[in-house]
Amino acid sequence: MPRLVDIPMLETERLTFRAPEIGDFDALAPFVMSERARYVGGGADKDIGHAWRILATLCGHWHLRGTGVFVAVRKDTGAPIGSMGPWYPDPWPERELSWTIWDSDAEGKGYATEAMIAIRRHVYADLGWDTAVSYVDPKNTRSAALAVCLDCVIDPDAKAPHAEDVVYRHPAPAEVLT
Amino acid sequence: MTALRTDRLVLRKPTMADWPAYRAFYASDATRFTGGPYDTKSAWSFFAGDAGHWALHGFGWFILDNGEGAVGACGLHHPPHQADLEIGWNTFAAAQGNGYATEAARAILKIAENDHHQRRLVSYIDAGNGASKRVAEKLGARFAGEMAAHDPACEVWVHWEGAV
Repeated sequence: MPRLVDIPMLETERLTFRAPEIGDFDALAPFVMSERARYVGGGADKDIGHAWRILATLCGHWHLRGTGVFVAVRKDTGAPIGSMGPWYPDPWPERELSWTIWDSDAEGKGYATEAMIAIRRHVYADLGWDTAVSYVDPKNTRSAALAVCLDCVIDPDAKAPHAEDVVYRHPAPAEVLT
Repeated sequence: MTALRTDRLVLRKPTMADWPAYRAFYASDATRFTGGPYDTKSAWSFFAGDAGHWALHGFGWFILDNGEGAVGACGLHHPPHQADLEIGWNTFAAAQGNGYATEAARAILKIAENDHHQRRLVSYIDAGNGASKRVAEKLGARFAGEMAAHDPACEVWVHWEGAV
């Protein structure tokens, strides 16, 4: 099986992070084709071809940008539960830290918070980012709550990829890397 | 697979330097046979998807570079909603009519004969896309009246049937 190479190794107490791979499709596709994904480019009206293109796009982002989203894997079960990390497609105004939790059973357990704290440190300390935003659909209350939990604040002056998006700006490197 | 070389082209994986030409092609009416024109967001998902297919299947789309930059794309792909492995090609508008797609596809078919001879290999081509059908003919593919299950507007041009 082919693999993306030169992917940084990250882990937290309960999660490991790796590049997306073809075996993730079984966990990703049902999410993309569900209403749970309606704020992140999916939805119940989407088909399996759309889900495939999203997985291919996650992989291609690594190749094109040199960074990309990690797949978070539970240490206790080995299950891939979501994609998290740097996201900078065209026409995004600036580099984003993104997150999705694919399996609803993995929601509400603090996995995304745990992951994003580690990944935010990684982009500041290892990739040299000097700032980061997360774009959240205003109806996506779970993601908005996570942004607040991560000490993000709404940046009313920042451009967003979609007119309705709220731009949450993350704390600066100096506030996080202590 | 890092790169292939033909008489006039280098076939290599997509890079960000290819993105402006790729985006411009997908924004143009030249993509009307594959559902276009497309906005930047959609074009990016095709572009990054082309690049990412390599990591998923070990084969994928090449950018065709004639020495002056990207003039098209050609490659093997097999998304799960399509019945068969496909070889596809696009020539960006300014470079059309030079035989680049045929030249690139011939080189890729040669590799595919080795790696994928046991599988059926097809090209799904919109019935109204005469230019693309002429490329398929030059490559030796044939249309036997079958339409694509995933897209009834597309003819199935068969390069080889593979092992039965």
